[in-house]
Amino acid sequence: MTIRTDNRLLDGAPMQPLSCLQCGAAVGVRKASWHQTSIQWDSESVNACLERRAAAPGGGPNGEAFTGCAALSDSIRRAVLDGVVTVPDAGTEDGQE
Amino acid sequence: MMVRRTGLRVSGASRPMGLIVRSRFPAPTLTNGDKCVLKGWIDVTAAEAGTDGVRAIEAEAVPTRFARGWHCLGLSERFKDGRPHTVNAFGQKLVIFQSGDGRLNVLDAYCRHMGADLSQGTIKGDEIACPFHDWRWGGDGRCKQIPYSRRVPLRARTSAWTTMDQDGLLFVWNDPEGNPPPPEVTIPRIEGATSDEWTTWVWKEIVVDTNCREVVDNIVDMAHFFYVHYSFPTYFKNIFEGPVATQIMKGVGRPDARPPAKNGEPQMRGNTSVASYHGPSFMIDDLTYHYDDMDLHSVLINAHYPIDANSFVLHSGIIVRRSDKLPAGAADAMAVKLGDFILRGFDQDVQIWKHKTRIDNPLLCEEDGPVYQLRRWYEQFYVDVADVRPEMVERFEFELDTTRPTEVWKQEVEANLARRAAESRTP
Repeated sequence: MTIRTDNRLLDGAPMQPLSCLQCGAAVGVRKASWHQTSIQWDSESVNACLERRAAAPGGGPNGEAFTGCAALSDSIRRAVLDGVVTVPDAGTEDGQE
Repeated sequence: MMVRRTGLRVSGASRPMGLIVRSRFPAPTLTNGDKCVLKGWIDVTAAEAGTDGVRAIEAEAVPTRFARGWHCLGLSERFKDGRPHTVNAFGQKLVIFQSGDGRLNVLDAYCRHMGADLSQGTIKGDEIACPFHDWRWGGDGRCKQIPYSRRVPLRARTSAWTTMDQDGLLFVWNDPEGNPPPPEVTIPRIEGATSDEWTTWVWKEIVVDTNCREVVDNIVDMAHFFYVHYSFPTYFKNIFEGPVATQIMKGVGRPDARPPAKNGEPQMRGNTSVASYHGPSFMIDDLTYHYDDMDLHSVLINAHYPIDANSFVLHSGIIVRRSDKLPAGAADAMAVKLGDFILRGFDQDVQIWKHKTRIDNPLLCEEDGPVYQLRRWYEQFYVDVADVRPEMVERFEFELDTTRPTEVWKQEVEANLARRAAESRTP
């Protein structure tokens, strides 16, 4: 099957490059709003992530899943505040709190 | 490539829809130093809307091959009654039988001799005996003996599936390329399934007449949980990585959808769920319901196997953890109740699936989940291993902004409660 592109990537905010302030992992980040975040990793950034390497499996049958990196979340928040990663309508009702 | 188009037309429009123009645009250049994060070319449908501005629904033909991966065929106990069983799966008829050594075996049901149905035969020792001429087939797919013949002819071999009997469930490995399961592609153990601290499986299955991609889509579909299943998600995140797709969801109760708790009964306040597809068809949901005075821990299975390209068997299984607040009998009753509740949820989905059309180009708003990225992940199971591309398996995270849905849904719940109160006052 043809793998198609998300219409929101074509018409809305783009993926933007970002490096984690802690480990330098290079990822793609997209923010449709202050609370919405997409993160595209690749094998290199996954291997670079310190929190991921340190993560112990959680409990339960799905415990192996790494739910996310706090340092990367902080880096994204910082990048948004610094205007490095743009958020559509930031400051309006749909944007930043 | 077959493209089926469903023209949803506005009245008065008389021109036929414009042809779809498929263009090859270079991927948006996303540089990270010198590294390009989005690789290669991507297909962009340049004209999904015709010249009249109407967006066309597009769908390629359903895939003719079946997903590579472990598929659950249900409770293994069911197949251990000394008789062969018929299962229609992967576009074929299969026979499942327990050999004398206790193992469960899965073979193509049609005897290579004269084509009879082995699942109508009998189990004799470690072999399944054909009802037509008593040819004996082993779990490895080889004909072991023909009682009335001095020797077995050459090439007397049928297709055999690798099986796994784990946590009370029978799994079968499907691979169109015929390779055995790689060791790293596994179904995780479900601790509660073999523990006395948990109930036994409450297991249900239904046949659904549509392609199984519809059920997989649900893992990213936040809003349908409110509109179709009467739940109220307040947090929603998806993570795709390798062969695993995860949904983390938190929700609150829907007082407009459930009768209020009777006096003295604890009120259900919310739920926390971590659900992962391990491969293309087996989802484990680690699901906790939060009550006033306790947490109810359960593990829910949502699994399917394709019968053919246009139908599948959908399984639900549930176990509930016993506790001081929920001793054995009460936990068993709760598991049965939850099982019925989940089955109702399936019926709600089925009502949608029955009448909907397949759509490859869903038009998403920002409060929808990552449908396209899920489909990209799902595609890894439908191509040869050599053709699995990095973007199908690379980690992708999507956290949904539930601010707006939460606001709107709160109002809707309030309105429903107010209407119900008004109705109950009306004589």
